[in-house]
Amino acid sequence: MASLETPLFSLKNISKYFTRVVANNNISFDIRRGEVLALLGENGAGKSTIMKILYGLYQMDEGEILKDGNPIQIDSPKDAIKNGIAMIQQHFSLVSAHTVTENIILGSKRGRIDLRTASREVGEMADKYHFDLDPNALIRDLDVGVQQKVEILKTMFQEAQLLIMDEPTAVLTPQESENLMIFVRQFAAAGHSVIFITHKLKEVMSVADRIIVMRDGEVHGDLLCQETNESELSRLMIGRDLIAPHKPEAVKQMDDKNGLVVRHLSSKEKETVSLSDINFTIKPGEILGVAGVSGNGQEELCEVLIGARAHTTGQVILNYEDLTDLSLRERIAKGIGYVPVNRYRDAFVMSMSLAENMFLKSTYDPVWQRHGFINFSQLNRQTDASILEYNIKAPGADAVTGSLSGGNQQKMLLAREVRLAKSLLILNQPTRGLDLGAINNVHTTILKAREENKCILLISTELSEIFMLSDRIAVMYKGRIVGIYEPKELNTERIGLLMAGFDDHQDEEVAL
Amino acid sequence: MIINLLSRAITMSTPLFFGSVSEVVAERSGVMVTAIEGIFLLGAWGGFVGTYLWGNAIFGLLLAMICGIAVAAIYGVVTIFMKQHQVVTGTALNILAIGFCAFFQRVLFGIPQIPLQIQPLSVIPIPILSEIPVLGELFFNKNILTYVAYVIIPIIHYMLYHTSLGLAIRSSGENPQAADVAGINVNRLRFLTVLFAGMMGGIAGAFYSVGFLGMFTTNMIGGRGWIAFAICFLGNWQITGAVIGTFVFGLAEALAIYMQSIGGGGFFPNELFIAFPYILTIVLTVMRRNFSVPANLGIPYIKEG
Amino acid sequence: MKRILNATWRDMVLTNFAAIVAGIVLSGALLLFLGIDPIFVFSTSIRAILTDGYTAADILLKATPLIMTALAFAFTYKANLFNIGAQGQFYMGAIAAIWLSLELQNRIPTALLLLIVLIVALAAGALIGGLIGFLKERFDSNEFLVSMMSSYVVLALMNYLLRTFLKETKGEYPQTDPIARSAWLPNLIKGTRLHYGFIISVLFAVLIWVLLYKTTLGFRIRAVGQNSRASALSGISPTKIYVIAFLISGALAGVAGFTEMNGVQHMLIQDFNPEMGAAGLGIAILANANPIGIIFASILYGALNVIGTQMGRIPGANVPSSIVSLMQGFVMLFVIMAYYARTKIASRREKNKRKREAALS
Repeated sequence: MASLETPLFSLKNISKYFTRVVANNNISFDIRRGEVLALLGENGAGKSTIMKILYGLYQMDEGEILKDGNPIQIDSPKDAIKNGIAMIQQHFSLVSAHTVTENIILGSKRGRIDLRTASREVGEMADKYHFDLDPNALIRDLDVGVQQKVEILKTMFQEAQLLIMDEPTAVLTPQESENLMIFVRQFAAAGHSVIFITHKLKEVMSVADRIIVMRDGEVHGDLLCQETNESELSRLMIGRDLIAPHKPEAVKQMDDKNGLVVRHLSSKEKETVSLSDINFTIKPGEILGVAGVSGNGQEELCEVLIGARAHTTGQVILNYEDLTDLSLRERIAKGIGYVPVNRYRDAFVMSMSLAENMFLKSTYDPVWQRHGFINFSQLNRQTDASILEYNIKAPGADAVTGSLSGGNQQKMLLAREVRLAKSLLILNQPTRGLDLGAINNVHTTILKAREENKCILLISTELSEIFMLSDRIAVMYKGRIVGIYEPKELNTERIGLLMAGFDDHQDEEVAL
Repeated sequence: MIINLLSRAITMSTPLFFGSVSEVVAERSGVMVTAIEGIFLLGAWGGFVGTYLWGNAIFGLLLAMICGIAVAAIYGVVTIFMKQHQVVTGTALNILAIGFCAFFQRVLFGIPQIPLQIQPLSVIPIPILSEIPVLGELFFNKNILTYVAYVIIPIIHYMLYHTSLGLAIRSSGENPQAADVAGINVNRLRFLTVLFAGMMGGIAGAFYSVGFLGMFTTNMIGGRGWIAFAICFLGNWQITGAVIGTFVFGLAEALAIYMQSIGGGGFFPNELFIAFPYILTIVLTVMRRNFSVPANLGIPYIKEG
Repeated sequence: MKRILNATWRDMVLTNFAAIVAGIVLSGALLLFLGIDPIFVFSTSIRAILTDGYTAADILLKATPLIMTALAFAFTYKANLFNIGAQGQFYMGAIAAIWLSLELQNRIPTALLLLIVLIVALAAGALIGGLIGFLKERFDSNEFLVSMMSSYVVLALMNYLLRTFLKETKGEYPQTDPIARSAWLPNLIKGTRLHYGFIISVLFAVLIWVLLYKTTLGFRIRAVGQNSRASALSGISPTKIYVIAFLISGALAGVAGFTEMNGVQHMLIQDFNPEMGAAGLGIAILANANPIGIIFASILYGALNVIGTQMGRIPGANVPSSIVSLMQGFVMLFVIMAYYARTKIASRREKNKRKREAALS
């Protein structure tokens, strides 16, 4: 690499302060022509922030951006696009009610739009990149993997010199990720630059030419891929030693409880994935991991189990008790705890205090009330106890929930749900978006709940998490459970195929 | 009689066309123009004042548009750029509009002994077309505003569904973040659609004063702005839906006027007919299913950075 | 934490005060268009309030129904619903109050009559509110539109009744007969018009505060209002809450009809108090939907009202009555803008703190 060559873009001393955190502090690095640059760091390290600044979505507080050595002003994505920058957001920015074509031409075509011609152009472009894509399909009918292709085509339409991808593999199966890497390499080989944001070391090693490591909003390393290795990167990224929690061997069950039994559970959904014939059991003290690309019915399964969603056929039995016809409120009373994937939307009222959120799921439980009046002193006492027990960084029970960090909110949620989950704890991607310290914390809590003989259903898209915690592993695809396996029966490749819907061992009996 | 009624319905539909179609445009971009009642009122007032002072309806309509845009601009600044609640802001402006019109009516005209009158817009029969039996009477024997509506509705329809501007507007209402990432200045675009709604709403208001009654009172709009607002919603945020809905309400209003003119006093509830458009709104609101409401309607677009 | 809280309080008081002053000053400045000296008319009318107990008491009198309609809006607002139809529920309460008072007066003791009339007016408002809530619950119909339109329908009903069944015996104007003195709400302060309705309104405000912040029902309402999905997943039924919230909201507005009829007007007149609902909304926003804050915000609105009326009475000044809605409209608009100013101030303060921290480290 000719380091004398003027870089395509240079970021110089960029700082960005958010109201609650310093997101970027004095960041400088170059982006060269034809290279794949990986931006590596934990969740919350400031990777997305710096890229959103480069793309004009955020305004920096200090610093400057150079293109070909000349200072440029990027105040909006429009400016960025003009300067040849394209960015694919982590959570895609597609209009789900519009067609593929409408999404792709948004912002790049001017004036009169002839949709027929436009969709032909899009079709040709898709063929060129060997993307199997119907230009007239509505986005909301497409799988996430296909949606990502739409995003990629959108950037091709903008004829970008620099393509920024924010955690692009998060929603893909291992095989799809592989294909994406191939595309990225080809794209760079054609003289374009790519910035690949990720927190996964393996991906970095396989795709990047150069690696920028970020931690706590600062750059902690700028290395060439061939001159480094995974352990060095890991050290730079985390900056401290972490001891993963130890998972004890499964204990023999003395209980007369038989845990959770789910039989022939199906549902019919209009907007989302329907469940079809789901069967599994979870013994007390057992963790059943559910692997799968998100959007394959995991959330629907959780919501049917807790009683928030109607099912068409099947049975849910918990400790010999048939829950099938019970309402959500009655199921809470039966001891089901649920940690949803989106705590902002589904679990907390962020503007309320920790104590109030502690109370949220118990408003029909006599424990913290008298004659319809809330017993605040008892409620606060319990909340303070939880804050202590779960090591939550919060000023007290009356702290506003939304003012806590994501990791502490998640600890609070676990505190509430573990308390409620006398029999069954359902967790949907409980570590999404957390930094490693908080992830370790959550894992410890889950293992502790396992020791307390709760049935645990753990849904995750992180395969490492699934393998580390699960006693058995189920794989979900399009609303079905493709199979349930012992961890030792599976490896990354095989589970990847299962997650993509390839039923590799049709003859194998589905463990019930 | 029926032709007369239908013809009346088209006439009474005219302001609602302007109001509901522009409301559709604004709402597709993501903003509910809840100041529409105040915009109508100020349009009615501006139309009256301009016509009265300069003796020409053209100036009246011009002033009506300016007044409508002024209210819309305040509304847009507060809701789009200051990101305050749309319903609440609209209510404040609607109250303010009443006070403003009453106050400046007094400033300009004092306390007149006899009600001030202007010449309402005259009916302009279109040559040849107005001679066609039935259709001529129904469609081509109207005042200028109705003809403007005929022209402008297809143009807006084309703009919304067949141009990049329309695509940008629809995307801003569905997923402003996606529009932003695609290089569209969402808030500026939203502001422009609101100003457009202000201009059209101004004309709509002027229809009641300049185009119809030839006078102005502060209660002359009487919820018509809200009806236009409701039509946008009942028409499923489609231009065609709004046009159909508008005609239904125009008919209801024509019917109300007719029934009032024949219904005498006594215990016969004439008031039922006055209330008919409002009752119709409630009934239709309750019956409507499967809305394709713009996903981000009413939610300010807040950029973090 | 305490420091931040104090700063937030200070921001709130300062920005709201600035907004109120700006609204009044701007409206006053507009008086110059009429060749009226605003300082003169303002000082004259304020002096009248300060020196004359009757006028001063009128402030609380005007505040009485406003407290109720503001509570009506605020209560549904807490459930993230919009009851724009408080005007109609208020009229419904007024119709019920006047009709029942005319029927029962001089037949039963005053206290009993007032109690019955209060309950029935409350129920009449609740009927309309409950209907809106029911339509929301059953058909998921947009409560904003339905409540808005319901006011026009009730208005038509009122006009009909005033033209027919409830029309005065003289048969001249569309209004009812006055009710007998025995059906009046008793006077609170001798020599003024202030009546016990004010006490009733304040009690309701306190009651609603307790309901919202101390009881499980209030908790559920607030939870649904701030995150209906999380509430639903916590076993609370948002649709049930919608009905309850609208029932109570309508009832509150209905009570305002009672206090106005039996306390002030003593008869039902066509088109009376047409901005009661909208003013209530403005007050609720000014008070950030806090029931206790509503009491004070209503008194402020009452004061604006009385100031406006007093100005109109100044001989030779010819101040138009529209000055009242002008003042109220501007104050409301500026109070909304003050919300924006507060978020700006707070975020700048936080950001500067981060900057200092970053500089230190």
